Amino acid sequence: MLAVVAITLQRWPIVGRRSELEVFERALDSGELAGVVIHGRAGVGKTRLADECRQQAAAAGYPTERVAGSRTTALLPLGAVATLLAGGLGRPGPDGQVHTAALFEETRRALAERHGGRRLVTVADDAALLDAASLALLGYLAAQKTIFLIATVRTGEAAPDLLTDLWRDGRAERIDLHDLSRAHLDTLLHLTLGGPMEAGAGLQFWEVTRGNPLYVHELVLGAIESGALVERSGVWHLEDRLPATSRLLDLVGQRISGLSAEARSVVELLALCQPVELGYLEAAAPAGVLEALERTGLVTITVDDGEARLAHPLYGTVLRAAMPRLRARAILLGEADRLEAIKPAAGPAALRIAVWRLDAGGRPDPAVLVRGAHLARYAHDFRVVRRLIEAVPGEQLDAVGALLLGEALYELGVFDASERILAHGQQLPASEPVALRLAVIRAKNAHWGLCQPDAALAINAAAGPVISSPPLAEELVADEAAILMFSGHPDRALAVLERIGGSDQRTRVVRAIAGAPALAVTGRTAEAVKTAEAGFADHAALGDELAIAHPATHIINQVFALTEAGRLAEAEQLARAGAEIVAARRVPVAQIWFAANLGRVAILRGRLATARRYHAEAAGLAEANLFAGPRRLALSGLALAHAMLGDADAAAEALAERATVPEFGFLGPEQQLADAWTAVASKRPAEAADLFRAAAAQAAETGHRTAESWLWHDLMRTSGQDASARLSELAATCDSPLVSARARHAVAAQARDARELSAATNDFEALGAILLAAEAASDAAEAFTRAGDKRAATAALRRSGALAAASEGAATPGLVHAAAVVPLSGREREIAMLAAAGIASKDIAERLFLSVRTVNNHLQHVYTKFGVSNRAELAHALGSTS
Amino acid sequence: MTPEQISLVQSSFARLGPQLPVMATRFYQELFRRDPALRALFTTDLAEQEVKFADKLAEIVRAIPRLDDLLTHTRALGAVHAGFGVRAADYETVGAALIAALAAVLGDSFDDPTRLAWALAYNLVAETMLEGAATARPVGS
Repeated sequence: MLAVVAITLQRWPIVGRRSELEVFERALDSGELAGVVIHGRAGVGKTRLADECRQQAAAAGYPTERVAGSRTTALLPLGAVATLLAGGLGRPGPDGQVHTAALFEETRRALAERHGGRRLVTVADDAALLDAASLALLGYLAAQKTIFLIATVRTGEAAPDLLTDLWRDGRAERIDLHDLSRAHLDTLLHLTLGGPMEAGAGLQFWEVTRGNPLYVHELVLGAIESGALVERSGVWHLEDRLPATSRLLDLVGQRISGLSAEARSVVELLALCQPVELGYLEAAAPAGVLEALERTGLVTITVDDGEARLAHPLYGTVLRAAMPRLRARAILLGEADRLEAIKPAAGPAALRIAVWRLDAGGRPDPAVLVRGAHLARYAHDFRVVRRLIEAVPGEQLDAVGALLLGEALYELGVFDASERILAHGQQLPASEPVALRLAVIRAKNAHWGLCQPDAALAINAAAGPVISSPPLAEELVADEAAILMFSGHPDRALAVLERIGGSDQRTRVVRAIAGAPALAVTGRTAEAVKTAEAGFADHAALGDELAIAHPATHIINQVFALTEAGRLAEAEQLARAGAEIVAARRVPVAQIWFAANLGRVAILRGRLATARRYHAEAAGLAEANLFAGPRRLALSGLALAHAMLGDADAAAEALAERATVPEFGFLGPEQQLADAWTAVASKRPAEAADLFRAAAAQAAETGHRTAESWLWHDLMRTSGQDASARLSELAATCDSPLVSARARHAVAAQARDARELSAATNDFEALGAILLAAEAASDAAEAFTRAGDKRAATAALRRSGALAAASEGAATPGLVHAAAVVPLSGREREIAMLAAAGIASKDIAERLFLSVRTVNNHLQHVYTKFGVSNRAELAHALGSTS
Repeated sequence: MTPEQISLVQSSFARLGPQLPVMATRFYQELFRRDPALRALFTTDLAEQEVKFADKLAEIVRAIPRLDDLLTHTRALGAVHAGFGVRAADYETVGAALIAALAAVLGDSFDDPTRLAWALAYNLVAETMLEGAATARPVGS
């Protein structure tokens, strides 16, 4: 037990924080709230307020605890909250995963038992520096009312999601701390020094510190030590000017540099390993050193816990920064050995020892590292997973370790290294679940990371003989189907899925992952929607035990299926809701897919500026997260949106960027819409038509029926060429009303059937496809004109204009002739557009493979129809849309 | 506070002399004008309350130069007030009412330096009363 130190300086009074303490008090009393979050800049008194709250709770009989985030504790998941854990880091199950939920629940039960059901009031100082797993555990315990959380967050550091969520949901109070007012500073000095201060001194303290309490603390203690601040006859005088430095860190540094060697070794030990047991420190340091440190306010001693720690996190920062690396290493390793000798390999102590050895660059117990890596994986902290497993010596790395590292490398975008470690992992002995995960992740890395779907299929096939138990074997088959589906082979994917026989819940989930999108693109859209819906419900009921997918996959599938089914408004609504959820949870891959799907829906709806925005967002996210395949898709969508908006340059730019990304087969035919439309926008109609035809042929070959219908229809829209026969065939084999509407439009346009064109307009409008409706209405107007029904033509034209106005600036050829009610043949329209764009007859002839004379003949007919005599007038007559 | 400010508080308080009860009356008027809800906290006769207030204020002003004495008074007083459900925000209202009452009664002699001295003195008293209140009534009690 320490001698009583009767100096008021050792614990400064708390001034100007009573309202904040009342907020805490009310929050704790309410029984409803999970905690308080204290925000404020460095030195404003967050730690002090948090500790005061803790003390008040202790006085009221609450059990209390204290954890702190730091660069060091963040090295190992849950390292910072070791004191809360009853039994260490938990153990991996047969599938190679640590069951974090069970670990958290076990911790909750142990704490509840230890404290007789009373809430443990827990300070989490510098919470922004806690690792993700620690935050998750604290969040869980707070939500379960096992603990009441008092977290501090320094201004400028990103508050962890957990805390902002708590605060936003109204489950925690937020306290914003500010510097002290002039009057509060005066009161603080008066109470601390125990008497009045001469006038000039108070003003100097105010001018230098502007009410920052830590700054005041450092200045006062420094000035007393240096003899600048002295007391005479009950009044404090400043004999010297206060130090000129305006930086808090310098000030702390100066005070620390004035310590004796013994005192310094104590604070250095604390800076690296705190809290440290009082008994040990008292034995290690000469008598009086600890008392002196407490007196000067550098060290705080909590008698209840029998522990000592630095009084402010900033002292630790300064000390660590000034410590030579070798010295830090010696202290850490020494302390690790000492603790290990006392408490060999017990839960929390083993964690702390591992943290210190990691910090020292030493070799911690591999078992602890692997368990730590599991926890980090649970928290999606793949950087930590990588660092921990890479610290395991190569010869001790088992299949589970290789799996963890390989997956982390894939998630971090280090695809080559991921392939190497996973291939190595497959050579090591492993249980079947681990072997399955190794194969699945390795194939995923080959497919999505290295963009080598054939290699992925080979990996999948090679794993077949190793995986024999039926449910796991089914997952492997489903993964084969997924590789096929997402590399552009929906027909083959569906055939592979036929091999999965069972019909229980798990089987349905596994089938749904590739099955739903494959059904959708092959035109069985109603079945696709149902499959995706059931997949989500079944997956949610199963929990997170599948190797091959995340539950959000099914929602993305549902959005995709709804889009293909022509249920555009529903697709959009669901995608928006999903995007919000995954943005809040930071699941980048799902964020990308939701954005890209929103972009697709927007294109089909004719909301082109919106489409451009979503595709740009998806492309940016995909680039930032190193997902090449999705990036290629998003850039295709972006080019398509630009081209349909008439911006040929921007479209070409997006295509040029796309060319830097490896080929990716998923929705391959649809990706080529971008190339074809860019050719349209660049006035290269012949090339565009070829591109549409080639892509449609590829779609037909691979079973992309909805995409094929899209391609043929767009060929018709942009060139006037007849595609009605194939579109009708597709409408007969697909159940999507969008595919039917396209066929109706094409057949009616070919027949110049004004009534049917109006009906197609209605169909498109009912689906929410406003741009297509506008174009069909424009075609109807032309047909009515041709039939001599001026009144109906005017009405259709007006309708077309109204619909087109909602399409956010679309500049598609199908809208061009709406500008003037002049019936043109497909060829005439093509030539008119090129001529209006200022292209010479000779060049037009070259592009369309016609003679110059033919071009001029057509052009002459166009001039006559419009009643114009040159290109400029023609351009004017066609309107600004060209 | 500076020694000069402590003197200013004491000398201006002395100047109140027989006007002290007037100041006390004025204080409660100012207080209830600022926050009528506070009226409910005073169940006893207000005239009696004014006398108590004047006496307590005189004790505190006398104790200001010696911090230990002051703390003995203010902590105990804070503990009593905690029992009445007085909160940190109420202390600000009380401070404003006190300064306003002093200014009204002392007139021109309540100049800016005097006002500042009283503001600092009041803050010192309020903070230590609140400290006494916190000790007397731990959370959850």
